[in-house]
Amino acid sequence: MSRQLQRKLFIAAFLVPTFLFFSVFVLYPVAKGAHISLFDWSGSSEHMTYVGLDNFKEIVRDPIVWKAIGNDYFLVLGKTIGIVLLATFFAVAVTRLRIRGASFFRIAFFIPNIISIVVIGVLWRFVYNPSIGFLNSFLSLFASEPVNRPWLGEEGTALWSILWPSIWAGIGFYFLLLVAAIMGIPASLYEAAEIDGAKQGRQFWTITLPLVWEQVKVSILHIVMTTLNGSFVMVLLMTEGGPDNSTQVLGSYLYQMGFRQFHMGYAAALGVVILIVSLLTTLVLQRLLRRDTVEYS
Amino acid sequence: MLNQPSRALKAVAFLILSVWAAAVLYPLLWTFLSALKDNPQFLVNKPWALPETPLLWKHFTYVWQTYNFGSYFMNSVLVTVASSIAAIVLSASTAYVFSRFEFRGSRLLYVAYLSAMMIPLILGLIPLFFLLDDFGLINKLGGLTIVYTAWAIPFGVFVLGGFFKSLPKELEEAAYIDGAGYFRTFFQIMLPMAKSGLVTVTIVNALNNWNEYIMGTVFINDPTQYTLPVGIAIMQAEMQYRTEWGPLFAGLLISMAPVLLMYMFFQRQIVSGLTAGAVK
Repeated sequence: MSRQLQRKLFIAAFLVPTFLFFSVFVLYPVAKGAHISLFDWSGSSEHMTYVGLDNFKEIVRDPIVWKAIGNDYFLVLGKTIGIVLLATFFAVAVTRLRIRGASFFRIAFFIPNIISIVVIGVLWRFVYNPSIGFLNSFLSLFASEPVNRPWLGEEGTALWSILWPSIWAGIGFYFLLLVAAIMGIPASLYEAAEIDGAKQGRQFWTITLPLVWEQVKVSILHIVMTTLNGSFVMVLLMTEGGPDNSTQVLGSYLYQMGFRQFHMGYAAALGVVILIVSLLTTLVLQRLLRRDTVEYS
Repeated sequence: MLNQPSRALKAVAFLILSVWAAAVLYPLLWTFLSALKDNPQFLVNKPWALPETPLLWKHFTYVWQTYNFGSYFMNSVLVTVASSIAAIVLSASTAYVFSRFEFRGSRLLYVAYLSAMMIPLILGLIPLFFLLDDFGLINKLGGLTIVYTAWAIPFGVFVLGGFFKSLPKELEEAAYIDGAGYFRTFFQIMLPMAKSGLVTVTIVNALNNWNEYIMGTVFINDPTQYTLPVGIAIMQAEMQYRTEWGPLFAGLLISMAPVLLMYMFFQRQIVSGLTAGAVK
């Protein structure tokens, strides 16, 4: 067998099985999802009617969709601000402030990132439990009569109550990204700044932040994308979108439409909307965050 | 050091970090203590009260047997092990080709795998359900295994592609000159060198699949086939009718224990593997 043939055989043997698998169970479903969005379909094969863009027209007129997009962005904004601020502060503390127990903090803070979202959901639902939960029991210590506020059951507090566990669960990952970035900054820069008498605050703004800006940017984009694509799981576990759709996000609405009410075409169209929203947001954000990246010289 | 951070600043920072560490670690301890309480203790005592004696260790066997967590656990193990092995085989082979061979369309194919990491899973959820149904794989652990495997491929191709690229080419070239074929060179020379990369990707996949919930809940509706996350969510939902807090928290602990153990042993690999996927 010629070397050339051997090479072709090897490449084919190593590429084809993977690509088949990937095509059938990743690419095909995604493309098929876009296709289904053009139909009115309940899931049973007989009644699949082509309706063109009607599902999308309906989506634009559906007040719940707009509510859901608003909630998606509320979580995006809340998570980005909460996570980036805290993770940056923690990262600076364990590196530049040289506080004790740095390696302990690094091991501990990552733990929520390795725990299943289902476990996190159950624990936090207990925190918010109206009669025996942690939060109300704690607040009752300072009140004249027992507090029994249904945090997840009231429209005013439900979405905020989903935001906190999302921040809690997300920080460790970005904290470690930023720690690695700060440790990559040459020590000579800080030494020079100290000779010039720059205090910690000044060092942060003039050295640390500009030099880890690339990683902060990556973190922000990653938080935004994972939130738009994945926050619905937390919503499903905590409130299923309720009360009265007040915590609905696009993903949980898709789930409800598809797997609870069997409007498969409409749900698939929501899926396309999620993809468009998340790609557009990432593109716009990449523009906004463009800022000259500082290189070590 | 000329300019130490001030003591007050360090003290405040230390305090804040300690509070956060408590917020992260206390839930683990609390879950453990709560698993040993019965219903009256939940209703009467404060949630942070210690469990009363005798400690109710029987909640662990109870949830294992009566709530079928034993079977959920085995299902989770099966799916996790099978899909992690399948994913590493499929992604390592393709990643190696991308790192060493140029051919027509190779760039395009590589980009296709990479972009798939940005596709929201939920977009494919509905078609996947019907696809599995057509194959008779709904309510089958095999179906879940296949889907987990396929969706783990892009991450593996990305991380291992970079890893293979970083390995020196000299050994392969020497092997080729000695007359070794492509297959033998890969299995006898490259694979052993890539061990740490393979371990990292396998651990991250195992972790993700062990914890995965949404595909599990959509594709599995047969209680005998539930994985742990699905079983926990169902138990939590049933709490409206049958309240058994202690056993529920015992169940949480059963699902967390293997993950925490893995984290103790493979902390470095888990962190580096998970963060590698984010920095595209």
